[in-house]
Amino acid sequence: MLTGSIRNNAAAQEALYNRFSPRMLGVCYRFAKNREDAEDMLQDGFIKVFTQLHQYRNEGALEGWIRRIIVHTCINILKKNKKFAESVDIIHANSVYVREEMIPSIMQAKQVVECIRTLPLGYRTVLNLYAIEGYSHKEIAEMLDIEESTSRSQYTRAKAMLEEILVRKKIIQKQVKRTTLYGAVSPR
Amino acid sequence: MEQDFYNDDFEQLLKEKSDQFRMYPSKRVWHSIYNNLHPGRRWPSYAMSILLITSLTLIGYLNTSDSTAVNKFTFAAGNQPNGNDKIKSLQSSTGDNKTNYLAEVSYTESSVPDIIVASANSVVQPVNLKAPIVAELNDNRLAQAMDNYIASNQIFADVAAINKNKTVKEPEQRFTEKIQEDNSIEAEAVASKKINSEVTTAYKPAAHATADIIESKEINVSESDIEEPADKSTITTADKNALSQQEKSWIEHYAMYNKPPGNKWKDRVNVAYYVTPAVNYRKLSTNTKGSSTPFANSDINHSISQRPGIGLEAGAGLEYLIAKNLRLKIGTQFNYTNYNINADQTNHPILTTILLTDTYTGFSYPSARSSTISNNYNASAQQPVILRNRTYQVSIPLGFAYRMSGTRNVEWFAGASFQPTYVFGGNAHLLSTDLKNYVKDPSSIRNWNLNLGFETYMNYKLGTYNLQVGPQVRYQVYSTYRKNIALIEKPYAIGFKLGIVKGF
Repeated sequence: MLTGSIRNNAAAQEALYNRFSPRMLGVCYRFAKNREDAEDMLQDGFIKVFTQLHQYRNEGALEGWIRRIIVHTCINILKKNKKFAESVDIIHANSVYVREEMIPSIMQAKQVVECIRTLPLGYRTVLNLYAIEGYSHKEIAEMLDIEESTSRSQYTRAKAMLEEILVRKKIIQKQVKRTTLYGAVSPR
Repeated sequence: MEQDFYNDDFEQLLKEKSDQFRMYPSKRVWHSIYNNLHPGRRWPSYAMSILLITSLTLIGYLNTSDSTAVNKFTFAAGNQPNGNDKIKSLQSSTGDNKTNYLAEVSYTESSVPDIIVASANSVVQPVNLKAPIVAELNDNRLAQAMDNYIASNQIFADVAAINKNKTVKEPEQRFTEKIQEDNSIEAEAVASKKINSEVTTAYKPAAHATADIIESKEINVSESDIEEPADKSTITTADKNALSQQEKSWIEHYAMYNKPPGNKWKDRVNVAYYVTPAVNYRKLSTNTKGSSTPFANSDINHSISQRPGIGLEAGAGLEYLIAKNLRLKIGTQFNYTNYNINADQTNHPILTTILLTDTYTGFSYPSARSSTISNNYNASAQQPVILRNRTYQVSIPLGFAYRMSGTRNVEWFAGASFQPTYVFGGNAHLLSTDLKNYVKDPSSIRNWNLNLGFETYMNYKLGTYNLQVGPQVRYQVYSTYRKNIALIEKPYAIGFKLGIVKGF
């Protein structure tokens, strides 16, 4: 599949796409405004994946390599939006009011993702990159052209806001210090 | 310490749940990727564009053809063809209105019309007519047989029989069956396991089976939960990568027929402003049927001194994104057309004639006029003057634009439009039959006309705005002059469009 894709074999490329696209679209969806934008990000990302696939050295998981390209594509697309830079630098937690109707009533993984997507664009992006994609604040600062301290403060505020949303949605309990799913067995 | 522990736990939760989340992209994403990776295989896009443009051109041509051309395709109720049995149209027998054609059928002894294709506004589906009418083929009354067949309601019985034999299930029916099937599987799973957190991560369409658990935790399940095929991947964490081909195809199929609520119209509609400076050309011809005094030279275009003029069109409109690659357009447009004629001003009126056409008989006849302007072709002008044949028009372009290719920021479009036009002013100079004089007559300009527009342009995304630039051709279908003027002028304009498009 990998060799065929590098040789520009359409069937192999489609197989590779079919294998990774569902999870990668989930990644894009967390960054995007809506599903359509997410699909556009996915499209651009996979075009880069296929055109740069010959650079993949089998040194790590292919999924991780594809995921990094997809994330970078999402960030590049977001950065082209002027409002994005403003939202990363300007928005403060106390200026954002989360209305109850903004919180979707959807279950489990999708519920958590939808709650993340209710965050302001800047918060959401930093939270996605730090908490989920595993980038450091230094890397995030370089990717988004912001200060490292800004990334930290954005993440702190994003997490506080997301926690509030998840508690109000009764997905997590705030009373105990350990975060657990409602009704779920604690992992520890 | 505890705070760190809490933070780690919270982030762990986010990462786990986010990693579990999957969505299945629509087919068009892969098609777009494929087209980008294999640009040499885009012939369907080009073929489609050529087909559309050819169709529009053909429509324009047929509209401008003379009545004999039209007669090739239609015939009146009392004037049906005979002898060679060429049936040019098949008429509905409902009522006396014989213009309601169902289809055009070409018939010979060896070719039996198999299918009547229903017209766009008809509820009649394709029907096999071969068997019922085959007995009628020996004479020349096939059309009558068709009428009788339809009038006897046999056609409706055939349609009902065809519909009854349909075995394809409706999407909702398939979905309901799938839900029932999933629920039964899920119910077994629930019965065999303790109700624990694994249940709450179960497959979403099984919401009915796990409803009690969900309700006890005061978590609402909306319709959208059931409609989200993406969560099918969370059947269990162990086999979340093991979706069978059948399941994937079902998800895709389900996604096709159960799309989430569409975006607001604002997401699909853009407003466009554009201006197109253009060079105006024209082609002259004549209708001299039955005239004893036709034009002195039939090659009128080369008997006068003329040169193209600069025109302009400007307008605003709406673009509706009907599909990923297709936009419908409607708007209002102002056109200014201009054409220059080199002439010579005379100091005194000259009696001359122009050729008119009787709109009832179609025959031409001369009409006397006076003129103070002469044609200076092949002669030096004493008092040179430039005559400007110009019109002011307002039109309503209805068209489409098809995205041929492109990237996220640069796209290539091709499109066509159909522009009903009202001419509200202008100036016209008619050529005399002897080609020596011009007669100024603004009243000869036809008020209602039709333009066809063809364009191709590049669309550049500049933040929230799109810039569109590209060549454009506009062709006027009917003559600039009224029907009673024997001189026929068909102008066309070649311009360069500059447009700005913005979403709401």
